Amino acid sequence: MRNSNKVLILFCLPAFLLYSIFVLYPALGGFWYSLTNWNGLNPTYDYVGLSNYLELLDDKVFITSLLFTAKYVLYMVVLQNVIALTLAIIIESLSKGKKVLRTIFFFPNMISMIVGGFIWMFIFTKVFPQLAEMFGIAILNESWIGNPEYSFYSILILSLWGSVGYLMIIYIAALQSIPGQLIEAAKIDGANKLQTIWHVVRPLIINSITIGIFVSLSTSFKVFDQVYSLTGGGPGRATQVVSMNIYMEAFAYQSRYGYASAKAIILFVTILLITGVQLFVMKRKEVEM
Amino acid sequence: MKRKLSSIFFITLLTIFMIIAALFTLSPILLAVMNSFKSNGEIYTNILSLPTKWSFDNYVTAFKNTNYLQSLFNTIWLVSLSLFGIVIVSSMAGYKLARTKTKLSKYIFGIFVISMLIPFHSIMIGLVKVSHDLHVQGHLWGLAIIYVGIGSPMAIFLYHGFTKNIPREIEEAALIDGCNQFTLFTKIVFPMLKPITATIVILNALWIWNDFLLPLLMITDKDKYTLLLSTKMLFGQYNSDWSKILAILILALLPVIIVYVFMQKYIVKGVSDGAIKS
Repeated sequence: MRNSNKVLILFCLPAFLLYSIFVLYPALGGFWYSLTNWNGLNPTYDYVGLSNYLELLDDKVFITSLLFTAKYVLYMVVLQNVIALTLAIIIESLSKGKKVLRTIFFFPNMISMIVGGFIWMFIFTKVFPQLAEMFGIAILNESWIGNPEYSFYSILILSLWGSVGYLMIIYIAALQSIPGQLIEAAKIDGANKLQTIWHVVRPLIINSITIGIFVSLSTSFKVFDQVYSLTGGGPGRATQVVSMNIYMEAFAYQSRYGYASAKAIILFVTILLITGVQLFVMKRKEVEM
Repeated sequence: MKRKLSSIFFITLLTIFMIIAALFTLSPILLAVMNSFKSNGEIYTNILSLPTKWSFDNYVTAFKNTNYLQSLFNTIWLVSLSLFGIVIVSSMAGYKLARTKTKLSKYIFGIFVISMLIPFHSIMIGLVKVSHDLHVQGHLWGLAIIYVGIGSPMAIFLYHGFTKNIPREIEEAALIDGCNQFTLFTKIVFPMLKPITATIVILNALWIWNDFLLPLLMITDKDKYTLLLSTKMLFGQYNSDWSKILAILILALLPVIIVYVFMQKYIVKGVSDGAIKS
């Protein structure tokens, strides 16, 4: 073996060892468990082929959680990016207070969504009803946690509150990297603000938009903390997202590790496919522009 | 002139809009802080006003009935241990992977990077089993080792990218002077990696400090609870006794708020750098 490879192995060994034990092995194990009837309570289990996957097709609770998650992801991808980009553009166009605003909008990103969720639960269950009474706003008097129709939006508000700042930072960095002369040139040519944004800024930050959408997609599919703290998946299982469904299946209901693993594989493949398609499509668009 | 007036109007409008948006962003925290100083009775009568009497009773109760200092210490210990591990193993691997131009190097790098696509929920079940079998479950040091395993790919990726942009000459000169690989790395290379190390420390500290699910799966002993685990426990216990719950939540947030106030410049920069590079 070449000497350089020996040194390389030596330098990579500690990281690779821990990575193999705590990521690679459990990940590959997950594929194998998904083909077994392993129940966490029993020491032995059998290979059952694809029967877990077949069972999933009829699992209404799982399919509902998948659709609920998909709806959440759709809202998040659009709203997160639109709000973050809007904030970034406005902040960059102001002459004063840029740093203060940036600091404030990023602040919720520092907070765990468990604590953030509990704080918002206070807002939804205690502050909203009093506001409704004081100002006569009926919609604030709805059951924002207990009624699944509204609790979807509570989860959405909490998630946006806690995550928009991160994307805003990405977009601000992208906007700052645009050479000032280009904006000046557009101004001289008589373009107004909106025209400048659409024709000059947009093509230059499309790369960051690809990143922004990728980040939204991959994080919102995995949403857990927000739902766990705010509704716990309830009422019933009405707001149960996929990650929580997997967690419950494995560690709360009947410890069906094999079946839960099959669900986890479906989640993995879904994220992989959707982000893969997104990157492929958007990269091609970038080239065209 | 007319155009200028309309643009001043436009800027004023935007500024007002941004102030409202900023207030909206901060309002949940401000309301929580305000009400944490009130009695339950006062919360129910007027939630929006400042407390008539600022009372620390809720904080005293929260402090007495919780293991606040213990959980805080546990969390700080867990985060420090994990960061220490992540920085050491990833800087070594990331640097060497970038400097070695062999097929093997490419394969190892590829294996590390591919895992960044796997969602945590897909390794969760296997992870619980392997941690149980290796007896790392139930210990804070065990949890830290797991964080090093999960966190290293991203850190290696960042170290790899950073190393590629450092000129090799210094290292070559040191090797000619008879420096061995180990001292070369600790004395010369690692100090040069400082900027990216700072980014990695910030990103991983944020992640591990706020991570909930992994400690939930690994830690059962109350004395080893992280801040989030004990907060969650107490939230259940003080069912709808909001004045006390709010004090507990604010206590849980306090370290984050303090760190953010003093380090926000570095944190925002670190997050920004990290996001762009990955």
